[in-house]
Amino acid sequence: MNLSRVYAIVLRHYYLTIHQLERASDLFLFPILGLVLWGIFAVAFKDQFSSFVLFLVGGMILWVVFERVGTGIGIDFMWDVWERNLINVMASPITLFEYISGLVAVSVVKVVVSFFAMWVVASLLFGFSISSFGFSLAAFWINLVIFAVVLGIFNVSIVMRFGNTVGPLTWILPFMIQPFAAVFYPISVLPPLVQKAVWFLPISHVFEGMRYTFEHKSFNSSEFLIAFVLNVVYFVLVLIFFAYMLNLVKRKGTLVKL
Amino acid sequence: MSKNSGKPSSATSFAKASEVKKASEGKPVLEVKNLVKKFDNFTAVDNISFTVYEGQILGFLGPNGAGKSSTINCILGVVKPDGGEIKMFGKDLFGNRSEVMQKVNYCSAEYNAGWHLKVFESLNVYCKLYSVPDSKARIMELLELFEIGDLKNESVRNLSFGQRARVSMCKALLNKPKLLLLDEPMASMDPDVVDRGISLLKKTQKEIGMSILYTSHNMWEIEQVADEVVFINHGKIIAKGTPLELTRQHSKLEAKEPDLRDVFIKLSREKYKYDV
Repeated sequence: MNLSRVYAIVLRHYYLTIHQLERASDLFLFPILGLVLWGIFAVAFKDQFSSFVLFLVGGMILWVVFERVGTGIGIDFMWDVWERNLINVMASPITLFEYISGLVAVSVVKVVVSFFAMWVVASLLFGFSISSFGFSLAAFWINLVIFAVVLGIFNVSIVMRFGNTVGPLTWILPFMIQPFAAVFYPISVLPPLVQKAVWFLPISHVFEGMRYTFEHKSFNSSEFLIAFVLNVVYFVLVLIFFAYMLNLVKRKGTLVKL
Repeated sequence: MSKNSGKPSSATSFAKASEVKKASEGKPVLEVKNLVKKFDNFTAVDNISFTVYEGQILGFLGPNGAGKSSTINCILGVVKPDGGEIKMFGKDLFGNRSEVMQKVNYCSAEYNAGWHLKVFESLNVYCKLYSVPDSKARIMELLELFEIGDLKNESVRNLSFGQRARVSMCKALLNKPKLLLLDEPMASMDPDVVDRGISLLKKTQKEIGMSILYTSHNMWEIEQVADEVVFINHGKIIAKGTPLELTRQHSKLEAKEPDLRDVFIKLSREKYKYDV
């Protein structure tokens, strides 16, 4: 892998972000608005339910990590399509895996920025101290980011194959997963059959693990491991899917028509 | 209508096709052998073979839908051929794509250089993609060469067609390519811009010693730049030669100057003639 080419993709999206207000607002405005909304809701009911602020604000912060990375990869790919710039990039020595690595790096950088902005706002407005969870939070983070990357690569593969018409899926897919991810409530409240299906979703283990940490002040290693193993399986599967789709669009000639 | 219509005044300053060296003098830079590309039941490229030699400019002509862009996309590796072989610098393209593409570049009027980026930023990204050393100096050198140094901080989207074409040409020359693929790089440009563009391209081509595969629908452009021309229609190569040779073979037997416009019309309509 050539790091200069991966850096080129990061640099391009850095330039795009500093020139476009809507992309910059994506970094700060939307995550903070969501956090404030759920935070106020949690504060309003904190007397009725203990740990409500912790569950909702913590869930919201981790959800944003997943949603930003998951959609970010697909959106940044579509920016290259919308700008009619993809072929110029693809005609360079870059490999598709370097290109995807660049998009992943961009999303991770963006989510780190969003995360710290939310951290500050959560601690100032709601007294939510992320740092007190230390290692546990970092572990949740790793699993969330891996599954978000899986979703992002899946999105790119689908848009690459079916074109712009399926672009909105990039925004919709994370929210289709959200009800089953148990972001704001425990898995036990879901119907029994759904609970079984949800086991296969790595982020449901992440949010269950997060709640366990909040309640017991200790790290739930079994949830972490299940999520990690599932993530590894999905990551391998999505790379195979991506390689298959790439081969298909190159055969059909649709990559140049995006 | 004369072939000279729309020809810029400085046309005579360019090298005549008859003065250029023979292709076979150089080493092969690009070898396309028995290339086939089908899209479902449609054969876009039908078993074509050609070679671009070191320092050669090969005109690649054909009507719309003839298979030119499909061929170029196969050469870029963004479309997978169904058959045949593509070699660059003696190496198989698909086994060594990243390595060989380091010495290749591409320019098409159809694609943007980065709509929302400033000119310098856009070119800087491509410098990183092609691992260009001392990128700032190289960008400024090319911007000055193409007389758009003052536009370096302008957004690409605010530029005129002609200015954007020049930015695209700068992008295509950033890595001092040994092989340049030009897919109608000056489409929609006014004759003045085309004239300047060709003049600069010829100058740079001599300096770098690069080979060029050049497609265009502007026959004057091809007459000015091409050492040799390959004419393709319905995915097949139907004529090959210097512009003057093609003119003599397919248009005017006693021609002293190339007239590819007449050749183009004749060869493009040949299929229909047989169909009728």
